[in-house]
Amino acid sequence: MIDERRLKILTEGAKYDVSCSSSGSKRKNTGGMGNGYVSGCCHSFTPDGRCISLLKILLSNDCIYNCKYCPNRSDADVPRAVATPEEIAALTIDFYKRNYIEGLFLSSAVVKSPDHTMEQLVRTVKLLRTEYRFHGYIHLKGIPRADEALTREAAKYADRMSYNIELPSERSLKLLAPQKSKESLLLPMKHLAEEKRVFREEKRKGLFLPAGQTTQMIVGASPEKDGQIVRLTQSLYRNMQLRRVYFSSYVPVVHDSLLPDLPAGQLREHRLYQADWLLRFYGFTAEELVPQDEDLPLDLDPKCAWALRNLQLFPVEINRAPLEMLLRVPGIGGRSAQKILEARKYTALTFEHLQKMRVVLKRAKHFITAGGKFFGAKNESAVRGLLTAGERSENAAQLSLFSTPEAAYEALTGEL
Amino acid sequence: MIYLTDGTKACFLTAFLYAFKDDEAVISSVQTQLAIGQRTVFVAADAEKAAKAEKRLLSFDKDCVDDLLLMLRSGMPDHEQIAFRYFRLLAEKRAPVRGMLAETAVLAASECIRKVTYEIHRMHGFVRFMESASGALYAPLAPDNDIVDLLLPHFRTRLPEFPFVLHDVRRKKAAVYDGKSAFTAPLDRAEIALSADEEGWQALWRRYYDSVNIPCRERLKQMKSYMPVRYWRFLPELSARDPFSV
Repeated sequence: MIDERRLKILTEGAKYDVSCSSSGSKRKNTGGMGNGYVSGCCHSFTPDGRCISLLKILLSNDCIYNCKYCPNRSDADVPRAVATPEEIAALTIDFYKRNYIEGLFLSSAVVKSPDHTMEQLVRTVKLLRTEYRFHGYIHLKGIPRADEALTREAAKYADRMSYNIELPSERSLKLLAPQKSKESLLLPMKHLAEEKRVFREEKRKGLFLPAGQTTQMIVGASPEKDGQIVRLTQSLYRNMQLRRVYFSSYVPVVHDSLLPDLPAGQLREHRLYQADWLLRFYGFTAEELVPQDEDLPLDLDPKCAWALRNLQLFPVEINRAPLEMLLRVPGIGGRSAQKILEARKYTALTFEHLQKMRVVLKRAKHFITAGGKFFGAKNESAVRGLLTAGERSENAAQLSLFSTPEAAYEALTGEL
Repeated sequence: MIYLTDGTKACFLTAFLYAFKDDEAVISSVQTQLAIGQRTVFVAADAEKAAKAEKRLLSFDKDCVDDLLLMLRSGMPDHEQIAFRYFRLLAEKRAPVRGMLAETAVLAASECIRKVTYEIHRMHGFVRFMESASGALYAPLAPDNDIVDLLLPHFRTRLPEFPFVLHDVRRKKAAVYDGKSAFTAPLDRAEIALSADEEGWQALWRRYYDSVNIPCRERLKQMKSYMPVRYWRFLPELSARDPFSV
């Protein structure tokens, strides 16, 4: 049994990874323990509001790399710990058996070399799948620059793999994570996507990353604009077939002159996730949501902001609008849109009906009519005023010397 | 008239046949406060009548009995009345009414069903087993709805090699898997001799739970909406904590 001290160190080193989802895998129980849960399953929630689905842990936090933002960087003065593949496997099994977790999310600092580290990771998942006959969910973090054969081997046993892009531009990556390069992160992702395509086409037996790949980037440690981040996200979905892109707003765990001292706003992260949802489920494109060199507005959600820029398309009649248009109405989400489609087959819907059906009308009423009736505000500025009321004061920030983007970049890089 | 049932499907369907034409009818399995002039009848399940009602209702909507079975699991005090209104509408329309979400009766029914299925999903995550000295797993729980036996198939496919007991301490019943077959049985109290390592694993789990939290991002309201405080009692990571200062 692993001791509490090492468990604490190895968990704290892993906890800033956002991904915790256990969805997307239909792995069957073929004797032994565990199976996939397609919709994913949360087992607990921590006081920070995040769910615990997987045992998120490092094999080691003793890193040879020196990425500036990382609490485990080689020149940081932090307690170090290493666990063996056997210890991690046993921990996973005993937590899983008690229904504490849905599976394992295993990552590691780069120990000795990328190949050595990847070998240890592969050994752990192989041990779980073959010796322990474990069929629960396994998310494995890929190690950049590890041998391709090792990566392919890992993909045979894992449900999901991920390489973190870390920072939204190559420039920032060079500055803050000099030992990682864009290629070292994107290349294995590309290979795995290609491998999976071939696997599907040839209808090979078994499973190959049934839950696909994801990635994560830190927001607010470097000066990229939301427009750039949302475009990058869109291209990752389109070109790499990623299942999810996660954003993690920067938390200053280590102090460095190249990094901001203040945590990035949670609201910005929230807006990025809203934009991400609009890309994946609502049929929006990055270009519709935000210009390349601008941030998403903080006082309005991205769908509201889009609707206000496109008022000529509204209001839409709730009894006739097609699904694609219903989904574009601020305040109407996927579930509400489905409910409306279903209910209007039987009767002409009124605002009263919508209210009873728990469709939230606070924002939507400015953009819809029901049976020809309209209850929204009369003009754009009135709508804008009503939608942003109450949000403004919360997000007011003191301007600083570095409030302009150029100044912020210079302050960060020292370039003038 | 209030039609009192014993909570079973057959009894509900029998009562439905009696109550169908009565506009003031209430079907309930719990004794409620009577209004002035209101009368109560105890309905005894009648297999023949129930089968007749079921056949008729199924001819309108082949999935409606599945709806009923879920609604009867509900812990809401008026769940039989909700089901009654739903089925009365079904009998009136003589066709599936599930999609008529503008109807109050349908909304109430779908809400009632959603609460039950949502709790089943939640409990797939929140059940906590402890290991007994014999190696069998034991999980106490107190769900809002009567669902222990509906949880069983999930854990049975997941842990086929472990006998386990899901104990609903509120309804004093248990869903049991003995390693081969599954059954439910009344169970008042259970004395469990824990395995030697059980305490150790629980301590590790608590340590993990504390370490994975990011304290500077506290969002207690969100946490409690996802995992209501009433469920904490059986979670080793939270059972000893004060919900006001986690």
